[in-house]
Amino acid sequence: MSSELSALLSATFYEEGYRHVIELVHQRDEESRRRLAALDVSAWDAEGKPVVTLPVDPRQETLDVDAILADYARGGRLMVVFDSRYDERIFPYRPHHYGWLHRRGSASPPLYYAVNAVLGGVPDRIGATGINNFETYVFLRRPVAERYAVLVGNLSRFSTTEAQVFTYYVGGTRLAERVELGPKAHAEVALRAEHAGARLERVEVKALFRLATYVVGRHARDGHLLLFDHMFTYFK
Amino acid sequence: MRRLLRSLARRFLAVRRTPTYYLPWLSRPGLDCALIIANVESRFRPGFSDGPFPVDVVQYDADGATVRRYEVVLGDCTDVVELALQPTPAGCGIVVVRGERLRSDLYVTLANGESYTATHGRGEFVEEYPAAARAALTVLGGALALAGATVAAFARDQYVYADVESRSHVLLMNLSNVTNRIRVAVRAEGRTLGARLIAVPPMGARLFDVGAIGGGGHDGVRRVRLTGNAWFNLYLVGAGPRDLEGPLSLMHVK
Repeated sequence: MSSELSALLSATFYEEGYRHVIELVHQRDEESRRRLAALDVSAWDAEGKPVVTLPVDPRQETLDVDAILADYARGGRLMVVFDSRYDERIFPYRPHHYGWLHRRGSASPPLYYAVNAVLGGVPDRIGATGINNFETYVFLRRPVAERYAVLVGNLSRFSTTEAQVFTYYVGGTRLAERVELGPKAHAEVALRAEHAGARLERVEVKALFRLATYVVGRHARDGHLLLFDHMFTYFK
Repeated sequence: MRRLLRSLARRFLAVRRTPTYYLPWLSRPGLDCALIIANVESRFRPGFSDGPFPVDVVQYDADGATVRRYEVVLGDCTDVVELALQPTPAGCGIVVVRGERLRSDLYVTLANGESYTATHGRGEFVEEYPAAARAALTVLGGALALAGATVAAFARDQYVYADVESRSHVLLMNLSNVTNRIRVAVRAEGRTLGARLIAVPPMGARLFDVGAIGGGGHDGVRRVRLTGNAWFNLYLVGAGPRDLEGPLSLMHVK
């Protein structure tokens, strides 16, 4: 493998019961059919224990995550890590991984999302030059029967880290929660939709280095995903 | 090379590009569409973090006509305003948001009382073609349309997904002042399912069911190639088993 190759480490979360497809390369040119140079996919349980590592043919354009991980999930959430190598001449910025997921048997619509590109483990570039470990997301204030949470995962190989999750409510009240995550560990941090009668307005996640972070909304009745989105950095 | 040619063509035609932040909107019975406007990402940016922040919002309908203008003021960089958009019979379109010191991504939300989904807009540009270029595109585009083709100025590739429980619709947004003839070609499993030419009026939008090309019998991943004669973008609209009559999700693409 050429030493000129760049690295991209991305992560998403997998739960059973969903069709879940990842676009390994967001194609921009029909003729050249861009592709990765190499790709390993690994899955980790909530405590950071390795569940499986699977070499994937980098010529594939899309990857059916459910098909390769359904036997390993055992009812729990897995953090799925995409460790890819690519040629900068083919991807001047970086290859983009996108995801699509849909709960089987659900009346809900499918969700399409951008997969988190994460530093922490592979000392290479993700195309971001600003601080990207300080992120935010805003919420609709009207009450909906949906439970919000933040999924956070630590992709580092050796370092335990602490994530701070701040929630802001209408009127300015701020609540804080600390989450300690060992290497490859992940957690779902529930966000209270209301505090002292005030609705949730915003969330912030801060960490020493970039974590895999997604904002999720779950159906109040059965807990399936209705919202799955990346957060936004303050520094661009 | 293609990029260079496009750049030269733009110069030759005297096309102007105006930086613009835009979002899609969508309305259906029982589905509320609202923008979340904030400037929170400017919080740590010197010179951009002191309010108030006046914001102008223009909602364009699917035919490109202005539905309504809104004036919003954010008191400070942590202020959040929810702006309910006006439903129309066409049910989709573009919203353009302008604010001199607005430095945050903005969100468009769909809520049905039980759930809500959100996605962000795009800080890109709108293309303005002078009268002569518009006339040339009208004549040339009209002739090519007879053969189901278009002037291939811009192209996008997108994966979409369909199965018995869900569908993908594409919300096409014409970000220019010329009629944009967009050719949508769909492939699956290595073969072409079909193509269709969709004319989108200036600053207009079209909601297009990708499954309508090639029939509904091809579950799984489809690859869509979109080619237009002027700048455009798209969002994916996810629909469950009740299709557009049920809850929807709205999703940005790269």
